[in-house]
Amino acid sequence: MGTPARSAFCSPAGAPAVLDRLRRELCAAEAATGLTPDGGAALGLGISAIDGVLSGGLGCGALHEIAAAHETETAAATGFALALAARQALPSCESAARTGASAVSTRITGRYLLWIAEDFSLAENGAPYGPGLDGAGIAPERLITVTAARDRDVLWAMEEALRCRAVGVVIGEMRSRGIDQVMTRRLALAAAAGDTLGLLLRTTPHDEPSAAATRWIIGTAPSFPRAGGGDERSHGLGPPRLTARLVRNRRGHLGAWIVEWNSVEQRFELATHSEPLAGTAFDRPHRAAVA
Amino acid sequence: MRQWREAPSPLAVFGKCGNLDLLVAVDAAAERLGLTAGLALAQARAMHPALTAMPEDQAADARLLEALADWCQRYTPLLAADPPDGILLDIGGCAHLFGGEEKLRDDLLARMTGFGFTARAAIAASIGAASAAARFSEAAITPTDDERDLLGPLPLAALRLSSDTVAALARVGLKRIGDILDLPRAPLAARFGAELLRMLDRALGREYEPLTPRLPVAPYIAEKNFHEPIAREEDVLATVERLATRLKAALAVRGDGARRLELALFRTDGVVKRIAAGTSRPVRDPQAIRALFVERLAALGDEIDPGFGFDLARLSVTIAEPCPDEQIGLGGHEDQAELDRLVDRLSARLGRRRVSRLVAHDSHIPELAVAALPAQAMARAELGWEAFRRFRVQADLSPRPLRFLARPEPIEDVFALVPDGPPVRFRWRRALHEVIAVEGPERIEGAWWSEEGGPARDYFRVEDKAGLRFWLFRAGLYRDMARALPRPRWFLHGMYA
Repeated sequence: MGTPARSAFCSPAGAPAVLDRLRRELCAAEAATGLTPDGGAALGLGISAIDGVLSGGLGCGALHEIAAAHETETAAATGFALALAARQALPSCESAARTGASAVSTRITGRYLLWIAEDFSLAENGAPYGPGLDGAGIAPERLITVTAARDRDVLWAMEEALRCRAVGVVIGEMRSRGIDQVMTRRLALAAAAGDTLGLLLRTTPHDEPSAAATRWIIGTAPSFPRAGGGDERSHGLGPPRLTARLVRNRRGHLGAWIVEWNSVEQRFELATHSEPLAGTAFDRPHRAAVA
Repeated sequence: MRQWREAPSPLAVFGKCGNLDLLVAVDAAAERLGLTAGLALAQARAMHPALTAMPEDQAADARLLEALADWCQRYTPLLAADPPDGILLDIGGCAHLFGGEEKLRDDLLARMTGFGFTARAAIAASIGAASAAARFSEAAITPTDDERDLLGPLPLAALRLSSDTVAALARVGLKRIGDILDLPRAPLAARFGAELLRMLDRALGREYEPLTPRLPVAPYIAEKNFHEPIAREEDVLATVERLATRLKAALAVRGDGARRLELALFRTDGVVKRIAAGTSRPVRDPQAIRALFVERLAALGDEIDPGFGFDLARLSVTIAEPCPDEQIGLGGHEDQAELDRLVDRLSARLGRRRVSRLVAHDSHIPELAVAALPAQAMARAELGWEAFRRFRVQADLSPRPLRFLARPEPIEDVFALVPDGPPVRFRWRRALHEVIAVEGPERIEGAWWSEEGGPARDYFRVEDKAGLRFWLFRAGLYRDMARALPRPRWFLHGMYA
């Protein structure tokens, strides 16, 4: 690899091409270690601010960690993971949901979603509920749920599933326990091999080293009330809002955002009605820290 | 059969008969001392103070008999335990595999003796004759039509009659089977019941007596004997593959594939290990079958204790289904096949019920609207979500939660501004939640047609101060308390993102 490169540097005209080639070789070498999940397409969240930080989007054939800020907020983290899954694995279902009522007659195609969870987590945080998933843009026909008694089995099942070409997204749900870095490396490699999106869903945040490409901490945020309705308590629920903190990113900067689920277009948007400034530093100290 | 080599001697086992402790079994040494089954324990102890007497344990005896019957599967799949102390084997059509009936019987007795049992075995054309010969005579093999000669000199108890009938016959001087063989049948039946003649006919082979096998007989079976027992996992897996290759030919002839397989490993010391594995589509491929057992063995780990090794392995297809011939080609099918393989692997390792698909049911009650069924069974089934989507659009259902508690959790300290109105605050898992936004109620009637239907529920979507969104319901109405119905209770049933 060394000799031809050196000879090519002699002619300035060939330099950009050589640099390009070297970059590609480096990428390939790093991809083999599972450290840079550059293999596979980028999965954009559809929010330019976030996609910019992620330099295009999340790596598809890679492992990502999504943790709930607190165990009670697991449903929010689940919602975020499912939104990613819906964007990745189930394109036809997504477009169907966009057209509303015509979703009824849509043919469901695409790769499968595997949801692998520890028994304890399901007992504590509730099991995936088909009608709710259907409303969130995930076709229950394409979902296979796996339960395991031990976290070891969850990780094993995740690795098996990530290598399978028929599977598009694997969600592995675990309650708090440190995961060995070797294990996350294995999962990252498996995700790259199968070109599968691996999402490690954790019920509490962790900061141990990991081979995951990104790490998110997802919390809930009060929704902006729907217009109309006189009495304060009688107004309905606005579109759900989540706080998304990107606390680890192998490809760029970190950030924190408040995103809002747009149920009509089945995607996230940046929350346009920001919180009062005085409230921010008080009940969301992380925002102050990041900003 | 109850006598063990290592036990102290003389040994007797006693059991309760009414208020009396009677000996139920004695070993050879005790027999030489003149003790017999049926003697009172006190009398036996008085005769021989050195006698070791143990209480009987019928449950353990039954378990031992079942285990032995399991082991006898190596000779024939058609067998049944004959409590309290016998095992019936239907060896029709398989004796030649062991070099003939004589050799089979010798082999069985030699192995039983090797395990430390005192065993007797007899071969005859009917269950009654074989049972009588094994227990009451020295005859090893009774050819067909020789039953009369065999049974004639044996006591009537050999006919498997109740002790009352035997005693009644003894009172009129009928002691041996020969005594009743040529008596007129009508008076015998009138006096002693039809059972006597039926048992006699069955023993003589005049009436067919079916054998109900302990385990259903598998449609496809392949087995391999080892002169040198195998113990290593690789050897077991290689054997599985070899047996699967043999099964493949048999399955292909009838156009079948295996949906459920069982591997029986016969350990040299008589223990039988059974490992079952299922598939989500009919398979014939030996490699795929081997892969299933790789996962099963990994899941079982140390439970598969090879001890001194296995000397017989049998692979049987317990459920077979028609299987279209292998097709090569189109991308979609390849993907489906790969998914099936993944599901099979996961099911083999984690258990069949742990890998599931969600199936929509036609019910308006939230916990009954969806069920998780084994993915292996549902691989080609209609899951019913199309119908659910139509229903959702028609009924304009309010959004359902993403996560759902199988058992609704009661919430406490619920405070509502009006009795049947939405909650303002509530306590769940010891944390207080202040509700800032509510949607609802959505009334869901209980199953009023059923006794256990429960009251109607009013569901609310609520959001608390921190932005947590829940699905709550109140079972019952406060205004119904006037009708002496129980007080309404609040529950939390699910969480939204």
